Amino acid sequence: MMRRATLALVSIVLLAGCPRQALFVVLPNAEGGGGAITVEEGETLTTLDQPYATAESRAGSSAPIAETPETIRVIFRGAIAAQPILPRHFRLYFILGSDELTPESKIAYRAVFDDIKQRPVYEIEAIGYTDTLGDLPYNQALSLARAAAIRGGLVRDGLDRDAIAIAGRGKHDLLVPTADQTPEPRNRRVEITVR
Amino acid sequence: MGLALALVAFLLLATAGTTVAAEAPRIAQVKKLTGQVTILRAGGRLPAKIGDPLFEKDVVETGADGGIGITFIDNTVFSAGSNSQIALDEFRFDSSNFRGEMLADMRQGTLAVVSGDIARSTPGAMKIKTPTALLGVRGTTFAVQVYGEH
Repeated sequence: MMRRATLALVSIVLLAGCPRQALFVVLPNAEGGGGAITVEEGETLTTLDQPYATAESRAGSSAPIAETPETIRVIFRGAIAAQPILPRHFRLYFILGSDELTPESKIAYRAVFDDIKQRPVYEIEAIGYTDTLGDLPYNQALSLARAAAIRGGLVRDGLDRDAIAIAGRGKHDLLVPTADQTPEPRNRRVEITVR
Repeated sequence: MGLALALVAFLLLATAGTTVAAEAPRIAQVKKLTGQVTILRAGGRLPAKIGDPLFEKDVVETGADGGIGITFIDNTVFSAGSNSQIALDEFRFDSSNFRGEMLADMRQGTLAVVSGDIARSTPGAMKIKTPTALLGVRGTTFAVQVYGEH
């Protein structure tokens, strides 16, 4: 009994003597939730899935530890300060059979432009889609025309054409699943990613 | 005859290899910078600038006053604090189905991450290696610190 206690004490002292090698922490995200990560080391697998859940790597294994949010913020202050504006996604809708934006989306377009303008450097992807009215070649061309119309607008507003990639997916990848030959305003769209 | 064929095959392979290297796709872009930050590429050292493209196998190194924010083409965001070194070991991404694979080697320093399409579409496809452990990413927001040599 005494011997076991001594052994336990010795291992605690040894562990304490080993420096911490790495720290892993889940941070709260913009939606107030958190992430989830796993840390694999030697025989140990630690899962962290709550905001500020923390694990450390020490002496060949990893284990959860308790750190305060304040300590975490101090440790990662530089890394968090270096974070760029996060990528953002927009969806604009079009008039039936046309590459012209709906009146609502003409207004929403300004938010896209304003978002891009605040970035020191940007990359934009615009992917066009259609509803299922009409045949495949027609919709392929229409979807690409919609993406091109977005690029044309952004270039007219002064943005760099080379930073804008476009593609058309025709009547594939419907936002709202419908039967063929079905008009559906929510499928007549361009999905825009700004990063 | 056999030798000639082998030579042709070798030349074709060599040419194919050159083409791939010349057209290596950009995997990320430098979005934000403070202080001194260096990109280690193919044996050379380049000072990082906003807008610079980054490629697979690049190593990003921040100085004592340095910080860098980069965004990958799958919309994963990395930001590193001072005295950090991160190698972009492996990166593959197909923008038509949002699938891919990513392995970064966090050698030293601090790194905050917001994961993107790769981790979202394929759980387990994004990993970060440290000198002692392997981190698997389910999403989305987390941070890693690797201590330097003591």
